[in-house]
Amino acid sequence: MMALSCLTRALRSLTLSQPALLSSQGVAQTQLAPHVTGVVLNQCRGFLTTASLKQNRTQWKLREKYTIKPIGMKKTGGRDYTGKVRTHGIGGGHKQKYRMIDFQRLRYEPNKVDQPFDEKVVEVRYDPCRSANIAMVAGGSRQRWIIATENMQPGDVIKTSAVIGRMAVSANEGDAYPLGALPVGSLVNNLEIQPGKGSEYIRAAGTSGLLLRKVNGTAIIQLPSKQQVQVLETCMVTVGRVSNIDHNKRIIGKAGRNRWLGIRPSSGLWQRKGGWAGRKIKPLPPMKVYVNLPSISAG
Amino acid sequence: MFPETAQCLKAAAPLFSQTVLLKDLSRLSTHGGGSHLQARRHLSISRCLASKARPVCPPRERVEIPGLERVTYGEKMHYVPGLSKPFQPQWERSYKDPGHYRSPPAHEMPLFKDRSCFVFNQRTSALEGVLQALWLTKTKLIPSLPPQLLSLSENPANQIPDQDERVQNAIKHARFWDTTEERPGKERYSNTMMVNLLHLCATLQTSHPAIGRRIQAEKCSLATTWTRGEDLFQIRGQNALLHTCMDPLPEVSGKQEVSDTADHVLETFYPVSPTINLQKVNVYKEEINCSGFRDDYPYPHAHTLFFLEGADANCKLRPDQFRAKMLMFTFGSALVRAHKLYGPQRVLDRPVTVQAVGTNGRIFQFMVFQLNTTDLSGDDGIKNQVWLDEDVELYDFAKVRPFILRKQVKVPAGLAGYKPEAFSKFLSLYLHGAV
Repeated sequence: MMALSCLTRALRSLTLSQPALLSSQGVAQTQLAPHVTGVVLNQCRGFLTTASLKQNRTQWKLREKYTIKPIGMKKTGGRDYTGKVRTHGIGGGHKQKYRMIDFQRLRYEPNKVDQPFDEKVVEVRYDPCRSANIAMVAGGSRQRWIIATENMQPGDVIKTSAVIGRMAVSANEGDAYPLGALPVGSLVNNLEIQPGKGSEYIRAAGTSGLLLRKVNGTAIIQLPSKQQVQVLETCMVTVGRVSNIDHNKRIIGKAGRNRWLGIRPSSGLWQRKGGWAGRKIKPLPPMKVYVNLPSISAG
Repeated sequence: MFPETAQCLKAAAPLFSQTVLLKDLSRLSTHGGGSHLQARRHLSISRCLASKARPVCPPRERVEIPGLERVTYGEKMHYVPGLSKPFQPQWERSYKDPGHYRSPPAHEMPLFKDRSCFVFNQRTSALEGVLQALWLTKTKLIPSLPPQLLSLSENPANQIPDQDERVQNAIKHARFWDTTEERPGKERYSNTMMVNLLHLCATLQTSHPAIGRRIQAEKCSLATTWTRGEDLFQIRGQNALLHTCMDPLPEVSGKQEVSDTADHVLETFYPVSPTINLQKVNVYKEEINCSGFRDDYPYPHAHTLFFLEGADANCKLRPDQFRAKMLMFTFGSALVRAHKLYGPQRVLDRPVTVQAVGTNGRIFQFMVFQLNTTDLSGDDGIKNQVWLDEDVELYDFAKVRPFILRKQVKVPAGLAGYKPEAFSKFLSLYLHGAV
């Protein structure tokens, strides 16, 4: 039985070997013949390679503690952890670094809970990971990145408050208040849809929402898409319009600039224009209601 | 078994001559795995090496129900579906292995304190720069060097013969002649230039023998503690290049000026807290006060600190933050000395003076610090004083290659725009206390 398995393995190695190399080996190597059987018996080795098998790992994303330092990102090329394409049209581009944005504007310092606080803008700069600019703000003994509003300048002092008073406040641009504290008709951005969750809507460059009306404990906002959402009035918003308002007017200029941004061309397959092409007039979708959601503990 | 296998091979391959067969097989033995992967692939091993990684999921929580015992497959000695994994307690070695030491959590360390302390070190980049340092040290800023100090180098007796030429040679040595590389890096030439200038100043020892009562120390440590407001602060870490002296420096301002500083109001920078960017620690030694030398050290008085901007390659500070660091460490050196000399005395009879010079190889920062009081907790009362002369250029350009723009030579090669005022300030700080 042993001899048979040895024989089959030896045959297999013979059939798959490259014939070109055989004659080039020296005759002196025939002296190594006593080793032959040993080699044949020890064939059961794994597929060994020096290349790293740990591809597409997301170690850089797993950080939990907040930092203002830029974090180096690894490019995925649109592949997921199995190595298959998850999103088409991604790949290449300039190296980018990720800066952690604190979307929860109302984050109190550890021993100063429930007090309105001020922060000073230190720097306003470009961010490769989003269309809007970002601002470094410092207040108390901490610093953080936030999304910059239109006229934010270094040296400005911006205010954050969670108080809903009887009178509407006269807010400056860049200040953050709950929706219930703001006058009807004000322009807002960085909208939370659940109190304390962190802003999720109206964060792209140059966008702003409109506070339409306030109905017993809720507020109705018009999003940049003209859709209306109803959220609780304790949701925090930032007053004003998001920075980088000329983002939609920039000229890409050439195909290569899109490649710099990490966008690959689409496949180029010609398709007949169907019903999707052309003008459509649709009624606005009904107002989206985010109040009376079941609480997390109940679910 | 071996001869038997060889016979089998011979019998199985009549088409190949024996030499070819042996050659082929010997090639297998000489070249390892690389060339014959196809033939030698074994799926049970290679699959687990090449398999895709699972997404990271958090470890499952272990639920302990009192009174119930888990049924594990530990006794079976192999995995059984449906039975739980046996729990293995963490193995601890009975001997001490420094290579595998795991520190206890911070709150179990012997030096853990409930009150946190803010630590300033060489890598701290204070956001508000000099303003923040002034608040932390309770200091009044005077934006130029004291005139009686500047007049020291104007006296021809205190000048080096052929001063300008020798300083220019020192700069040229640092920028052009120091290395066989095309151009030395900033860390290198700033260090060389500082050493050259110090050497040049030290040649005055023949006419000023008091210069011989100094010594130079590198990489000495510094640690000091003080209370400001309600917070505890510490300066810790290595000091800069330090000149220490047998005799203390004379104070710069008189009693009247010192008492006038009580009217000065410190500038604040609301909404930023003064403790921003300082390291907050809970494990520290209280009442630490160490100048880095023993008490019987014959050169106990810090004279001048020399800071280089490129000294730490991993930490680049902007100019304002660099000046803040200079101020903090100068203050620290003075405070250590004052604590040693006067103990708990609040307002010092004889103020402690320490100087500092910072450079990036072209631009110099000069600083004279006078510690009048060690009572820093309140904002009122007598303040300390600092004379700061910032951004003094020693020269404009030192180019290895000329700077050419549109076929016109904008800046010629070599040293250009030498300014002798910077070195005279350097010299007067050096001579302070020796004249």
